[in-house]
Amino acid sequence: MTDIATRGTRVVATTGGRSRHNGGGPRAGTIAAFLIPFFLPFVLFYLVPIAYAIGQSFLVVRRTGGQYGTSYTTFGGFDQYVQVFQNTEFWSSIGRIGLFGIVQVPVMLFVALIMALLLDTPLLKLKAFFRIAAFMPYAVPGVIAAIMWSFLYSPQLSPVVDLLKAIGLQPDFLGPGAVLWSAANVSTWLWTGYNMLIMFSALQAIPQELYEAAKLDGASNWAIAWKIKVPIIAPSIILTTVFSIIGTLQLYAEPAVLRQISSNISSTFTPNMLAYAVASGNNYQQAAAISVVIAVITFVLSFGFMRLTSKRAGL
Amino acid sequence: MSNQTAMRESRVSRTAVMALMFLLAIYFLLPIYFLIVAATKPQGDLASTFGLAFSHFDLFKNLGTLFSRSDGIFGRWALNSVIYAVLGAAVGTLISALCGYALAKFKFRGREFLFSVILGGVLVPTTALALPLFLLFSATGIVNTYLAVFLPSIVSPFGVYLARIFTAAAVPEEILESARLDGAGEFRTFFSVALKLLTPSLVTIFLFQFVGIWNNFFLPMVMLQKESLFPITLGLYEWNGQTARVSLLQESVITGALVSIVPVIIVFILLQRFWRTGLASGSIK
Amino acid sequence: MSNTATRIRIAGAVVAAAASIAGLAACSSPAPSGDAAAAAPAAACEPAKGNVTLQYWNTVPGMDQVVALWNKNNPNIQVEMKNISNDQYGTIGNALKAGKAPELAQVGYDELPDLRTQNAFVDASACADATAAKSKFVPWTWSQTSFGDTGVFAFPQDTGPMALYVRSDIFKKHDLEIPKTWDEYAADAQKLHDADPNLSITFFDPNNAEWFNGLLWQNNAEMYGYAGDKWHVTVESDQSKQVAEYWQKLIDAKLVRTDLAHGSTPMYAAYQKNQIATYVGAAWGYSMFRDNLPDQSGKWTIVPMPTWGSSAASGDWGGSTVAFMKGNTHLYESVKFNSWLNTDPEALALENKLGGLYPAATAGSALPALAEGVPYYNNEKIFDVFADSSKNIDTSFTWGPTQKTVNLALQDALAKATAGDGKLADALTAAQAAALKSMQDQAIPAVAGN
Repeated sequence: MTDIATRGTRVVATTGGRSRHNGGGPRAGTIAAFLIPFFLPFVLFYLVPIAYAIGQSFLVVRRTGGQYGTSYTTFGGFDQYVQVFQNTEFWSSIGRIGLFGIVQVPVMLFVALIMALLLDTPLLKLKAFFRIAAFMPYAVPGVIAAIMWSFLYSPQLSPVVDLLKAIGLQPDFLGPGAVLWSAANVSTWLWTGYNMLIMFSALQAIPQELYEAAKLDGASNWAIAWKIKVPIIAPSIILTTVFSIIGTLQLYAEPAVLRQISSNISSTFTPNMLAYAVASGNNYQQAAAISVVIAVITFVLSFGFMRLTSKRAGL
Repeated sequence: MSNQTAMRESRVSRTAVMALMFLLAIYFLLPIYFLIVAATKPQGDLASTFGLAFSHFDLFKNLGTLFSRSDGIFGRWALNSVIYAVLGAAVGTLISALCGYALAKFKFRGREFLFSVILGGVLVPTTALALPLFLLFSATGIVNTYLAVFLPSIVSPFGVYLARIFTAAAVPEEILESARLDGAGEFRTFFSVALKLLTPSLVTIFLFQFVGIWNNFFLPMVMLQKESLFPITLGLYEWNGQTARVSLLQESVITGALVSIVPVIIVFILLQRFWRTGLASGSIK
Repeated sequence: MSNTATRIRIAGAVVAAAASIAGLAACSSPAPSGDAAAAAPAAACEPAKGNVTLQYWNTVPGMDQVVALWNKNNPNIQVEMKNISNDQYGTIGNALKAGKAPELAQVGYDELPDLRTQNAFVDASACADATAAKSKFVPWTWSQTSFGDTGVFAFPQDTGPMALYVRSDIFKKHDLEIPKTWDEYAADAQKLHDADPNLSITFFDPNNAEWFNGLLWQNNAEMYGYAGDKWHVTVESDQSKQVAEYWQKLIDAKLVRTDLAHGSTPMYAAYQKNQIATYVGAAWGYSMFRDNLPDQSGKWTIVPMPTWGSSAASGDWGGSTVAFMKGNTHLYESVKFNSWLNTDPEALALENKLGGLYPAATAGSALPALAEGVPYYNNEKIFDVFADSSKNIDTSFTWGPTQKTVNLALQDALAKATAGDGKLADALTAAQAAALKSMQDQAIPAVAGN
C-alpha cells in the first residue's frame, strides 16, 4: 500500500528539498517542532476517527430484556461488512454514482480544459471577465447552489422551464431519468471554473519559447493547443480528475437538497446519503462499515487512476 | 495558405470562440442573476412572476426581514462563518506551511513515508470522517461548541501538499544556507526568510482553505445543535427545511443566500491575482 | 542518529495513538446485567434549589411565542426553544448519541417506540403531577405516551385526525357531489380529469410515509403487534395492499399527480394555480392553507375523509408528544412546563392559532377557538369535522421500534413505484423486509405475520 502510495504520488509531486549539505541537518527536536503543529491535529482529527470508524465497523448490537430492552455492542467480526456487500441499495448507490462520475467528470473537465486553452490564446477578448464568470460559482456553497438550482428546476417556479415551455418543450428536470443529471449539472456548474483555473495556471507557467518554434513552422493554434500544451499540463489534468473522483464519491449536499423537492432522489441515492440514513436509523456500526468501504473505493480509484495515467504518460 | 484565408479563418474562429465563451458565461452567471432578481422580490411574486424579470423592488425590505428574523440570528451566523473560515484558514495555513516547509527542506528518514500519509489524507473523503469524529467528540464533550467545527477545519492535507511544492519551487536552498551561516535558528530562518518568499503561495493555500471551510456544511450539520453556533450554510439549510410550514421563510432563504455569497465573490475578485500566481508558481508539474 | 530518532519518535507516536484508539473503539459497551437491563427506574422528582433553564426542541410554527408567554410568567423556570423541522429525528438522535439531549423534545407518536428502543426517555412517573395528568388527555394518546401505563415518558400534545379539504368552487363548477367513499372519490377524480386534463383531484407524495401510514391506519392495516416476547410485523397485509392498490389505480390512470412534495413551494404553487381540487389532510393542515394560500380564502371546505365502504373509520396523520428526554435532571420543572404547554387553555389556544395544533388534551375540545367558525373556511366549524374524525380513529394502532428506517424504506419504494418501477404494493413488501431487517440489526426479536 505504502509502495503504491509513494509511487502514485510521484506523478503529481516534485521530490523537493534537494538538500546538499551533509553536516547533519537540524536537530530532531527542531524538525518535530515544525511537524507537530500539523501532525497532532492530523492524527487526532483524521487518523483517530478513521481508526475509530474501523473499530466500530467490527461491532454488532445486542440487546437484553423486555419489549424495548437495553442495547449493547459486542465484537461481530466482518458481520457489518458482509451486510454492506449484500445490501443492494449500497450497490445501486455505487452504480448511480459511477454512472454520474463517468459522464459528469469528463464533461466538466473537457469544458474546463477548452476554457483554459481559449483563455490562453490571443483569440479571445474580455479574458478577465470570462475567467471571473467561470470561477464565481466556486464562491457559492454547495448547499446554496443546490437551493438556487432547485428553483431553476422546479416546474412551478422556474423561468428556465417557462422559457422551454414557450418554445414547445416539456422539460422535467426532476423526473426519474433526469434527476441524476440535474444533480450532475449542479456539480458541473460549481466546479468547472475551479478546475479551469488549475489548468489555466499550469498553462500560464509554460514558457512561451516552447511553442514559438511551432508557431514559426505555421502550426495552427489548435495544433499547438492539443499537441504541445495539453501534454505539458497533463499532471494538472490528472490532479483535477483525482479531485473530481473524490468529490463524486463524497456527493451529499446537492442531492440532499434536491431531495426536498423531488421524490426521485431516494434516501440512499448516493453512498454518503445511505451512510447517513443508516446512521440516523441508529445503526452506527453499519454506517461505519459503509464509510470504510467508501473510503477504500476512493483510495483504489484515485491511486489506480494515478498509476494508470502515470504509466501511459511515461511520467 | 494565403495570408487572406488565414485572416478570414481567424476572424471566423474568433467569433466562434467569443460566442462559445459568452454561452458558457451565461451558464455560469444565470443562476446568480436569478438569485439577485429573486432577492429583490416580495414573497408573493416568487411563484407568480417571471423569474428573470424584476418586479417590485423589495430588496431593502427583504434585507431588513432577513437580519431581524429570530432576533437577528442571521447576523450571528454570518459572524460565525467568518470566525470559522478566517481563523480556521489562518491557523491551517500556518501549520501547513510549517509542515510543508519541513518536508521540503529538512532531510530525515521517514520523510517520504509521512508525505505519503498526508497524501493519503488528501484522498480521504472528509464527509466519511464527520460521523466518527462526532462520536469521538461526544465522548470528550466538545460537540456543540465552536471547537467542534474549528478544530477539524484547521487540518488540510492538501495545504501541506501545496506548501511542500511551493517551498521547493520558491525558496532557494542558498538563501537558507546563508541565513543559517548568519547564525539564525531554523524557526527564525523560516519566519524571517522563507515566509516572505512564500507569501503569494500562502495566500493561495489560505484561500483554498477559506473557501473549503466557508462552504462546509456536513461537518457543522453533524456537530452543532445550537443555532447560535451555526455557520450561514447550515442556518440557511435549516430555514429551507422549515419553508414547508412557514413558507414566508423562502424569501429570507433567497436573500440570505445572496448575502452569503457576495463577500466571497468580492474577496475572489480582489485576490484573484494570488490565485493565479500561487497556483502557477507551484504549478503542479 | 538523530534522523533515526526522529523517525522512530514520530512513527511511534502515530502508531501509539492509532493503536490506543483502535483499542478504545474495539472496546465494546458491556452488556447490562440482570434486572437493571429492564425498564429504567423512574427518576426522582425534586424541585431545583435555584432558577432552572429548560431546553425544548420542536417543529411547531409560532411556538416561540407560546414559550415567550410562559417565560414572562415563570421567571424561575425559563425555557429555551429550538426549531428542528429540518431533520427532526436526525437532530434528536445525534444529540442522544452525544449525551446532549434537551430536557424536552417533540416526538411524533410514530417515533415513540423507536426512540424508546434507543433508551431516549426518562420516566417522569415519580412526579405526582405527571401521573395525575392521565385524566387530562384523550385515552389513546396517553396509552401511547405511557407505553400502556408502564411509566410517563411524554405528554401528548396534538393529534392529526384526518379529513378531506375540498375546493368547493371547483366541485361546483364541474357539477360534482362531494365524495363520501373512496370509490366516489375515484369517480370524481376521473370526472375532473375528463373535464380538464390539467386538473387533478389531489397529489400522491411518495416521500411522505407519515401520510401514507395515516391512510393505512384508516383501513385498520395494523403494522405491528407485540406478543410472546416478539414483535409481529404485518406491514404487508390485505388491508395495506387494498390501500396501495387503490392509489395505484389513480396513479396509473394519471388522475393524481406524483410530482409534488408535501409542503413544498411547488405544491403550494400548484394549488395556487387551481390545478388541484382536494387535499387529504390532517387537522393541523388548516393553518397551512390559511397562511400559504391567502387568496383562496372562502373557496375551501372541510368534510369527513372518504371511507372504505360503510365503515366510518378515519385515520390519524401525525400529531406529536412532548417527551422527557434522557439526562433530564429537572423533571419537576419539566412536568410543570409540559403540563402547562399541553393542557392550559391559553397555551392550547395560541398553539392552535399559530401552529394549527389540534389539542390532545380533552379540555382542548372545549376551547372557544375550536367551537367557532373559521373565517378562511367560510366561517364553517371545521373543528367539528375533526372532532368527529377523532372519534372514528382506531385507538389500538401500534407503531414499530424501528419506524424511522421502515418509513424511509417505504418512501424509497413508493417513489420507485410512482416513477414507474414496480407497484405501490411492492413498497409494502419492501417496507416489511426493511422492518424485519432493521429489527434484526438492532437485535430486537421479530417475526413476520401475526
